[in-house]
Amino acid sequence: MNTAVRAERDGDHASLVPAGPFDLAHADEAKRAIDEAEPRVRGARSVDVDLAEVEHLDGAGAVVLARLMDRLDTGGAHPHLVEERNPEAARLIALYRTRQSKAPQQPPGATGLLERIGSTTASLPQAARDALDFIGHFTLSVPKAITSPGSVNWRSLPMLVQNIGADALVVTGAANLLVGIIIGFLGVSQLGRFGAVTYVPELVVVAHFRELGALVTAIVVAGRSGAGLASEIATMKVSEEIDALRSLGFDPILWLVIPRCLALVIVLPILTWVGDVLALVGGFVATTGITDMPPRAYIAATARTITASHLMVGLIKSPFLALAIGLVACGQGLATYGGAAAVGARTTTAVVLSIFSVIVINALFTLLFVLLGI
Amino acid sequence: MAATRPHIIVDDLRAGWGSRVLMEHVSFNVERGTTFAILGGSGSGKSTLLRFLIGLEKPQAGRIDIDGVGEPHRYHGVPPFGVLFQSGALFSSLTLAENLSLPLTMWTPIRGPMVRDLVQAKLDLVGLGPFADHLPGEISGGMKKRAGIARAMMLEPELLFFDEPSAGLDPITAVELDDLIVTLSRDLGITVVIVTHELPSIFLVANTCIVLDKKAKGIVASGNPHRLRDESTIPFVHNFFARSSPDISAIPGR
Repeated sequence: MNTAVRAERDGDHASLVPAGPFDLAHADEAKRAIDEAEPRVRGARSVDVDLAEVEHLDGAGAVVLARLMDRLDTGGAHPHLVEERNPEAARLIALYRTRQSKAPQQPPGATGLLERIGSTTASLPQAARDALDFIGHFTLSVPKAITSPGSVNWRSLPMLVQNIGADALVVTGAANLLVGIIIGFLGVSQLGRFGAVTYVPELVVVAHFRELGALVTAIVVAGRSGAGLASEIATMKVSEEIDALRSLGFDPILWLVIPRCLALVIVLPILTWVGDVLALVGGFVATTGITDMPPRAYIAATARTITASHLMVGLIKSPFLALAIGLVACGQGLATYGGAAAVGARTTTAVVLSIFSVIVINALFTLLFVLLGI
Repeated sequence: MAATRPHIIVDDLRAGWGSRVLMEHVSFNVERGTTFAILGGSGSGKSTLLRFLIGLEKPQAGRIDIDGVGEPHRYHGVPPFGVLFQSGALFSSLTLAENLSLPLTMWTPIRGPMVRDLVQAKLDLVGLGPFADHLPGEISGGMKKRAGIARAMMLEPELLFFDEPSAGLDPITAVELDDLIVTLSRDLGITVVIVTHELPSIFLVANTCIVLDKKAKGIVASGNPHRLRDESTIPFVHNFFARSSPDISAIPGR
């Protein structure tokens, strides 16, 4: 039998006879049948709802019939369940009628674009204050880490250096090698127009040692370890591990953030240095591959150009970039609140912010070196 | 009246990983419409047995047969039973209403206001009506479990599995939850399989139970929990139930 509702009217008295299956699979049909039959009993003083012909009633069907009873009740129709031949169904409907919250349902209003712009802007000062708080707390933690080494998880340091540094060597090395090749090609195609291919080795050294080596390595590490550290700490935060650390008397900044930042500060200059060497190889391969410059001449020109100041300008920036990555990633991780989605959002923010801050800090250093004439 | 087929038949199940056998020769039936408890101490494999029953693991040997489903680990399609996980396992980025509407929109053609009605009715049923638009992070542990039960019931299953429903709750909330389980099985006629070590709730909700033991690697006793408590001569079972006895003089050293 199909799901249907028969309506019969006799003056002030009416009866509704739902028939067929009233279950989850037929919930839509049941609702439609009720919507058709209901107007025909409107105005009646008493309505019998006869369950004798209901075949299979489950929770979903019971909800549909319970809401029908509710509407009839509020319409003043005095509904009555005829339940002699189907007591289980009547009990189920009664259960869904008694267990009903009084609180009216307010679907959450959609936030408009203006509203969102406003609330984002309004939250900016607080975000800035939180960031400064975190940096301040970190700065104060550094002397504490030295005076009371027991409060820092030093034992995690070798593993962190392995994860952040050694495991990243292949990808940072490959990125630097390719950037070296790109500078080489670019140098040959641009300087070559003026017959100045002999200056390509110098271009590779200056561009890569001073700027690109530190920048490329830091961006790769920010993407890789920034995401890793942020999601690790964010997961610890949402699963209350950070709270547990606090309750045991550990300062999470000392215990977690200091070793992670230190590991970054140790490995990033090393990765940068290895990257510098690989970029030289890239420039060499590109230049000697597409021009007739003798390899020996390229190497001699490179060796002549490498000076302590070029190398140091690049390497001196690295620890600062490393610190920025570590602080952004750990800070975002610790600021996580909520559940799995918050972990994802904070990780995304950590990667975007750490890459952006790496670029900004690099630009500031370049400006400084230009002003100092180094 | 002809005897109805048991809802779940477990026949000589062996569970474990590789050569490590966790339990073997596990056989029991769960009758339709009853509340069945799986008892045992920590590490006895209660929750693991549940993972086999809901098809997350494949038995090493033996057979599990759920009426209308067959072997649970081979089943695909509309979930034929609801599961309440230990922590509730609500999706933390979705509100309670969204958590509950997920199975409906996935497995039924129902859309729109009808979804909202059914979700609200289920939330009302477990007493969470006013919290439809709250995130799981904003409600208490007991409420999360009740929301988990509501979500497990969205597809109107005839069979519900509960993993430690009252673990980590205060006695009053735990009793409320037990009452809810009794309501579900008595008023809705749902078969309930419950994994627990909370003795008060066993006596309140369970018609039948099995007791698992780590050392015996399987079932050491089965039957009605009240009768097991009063009549069992097996030391482990006796000790297990004696702990719930209000007679503290039975504890050695008193």
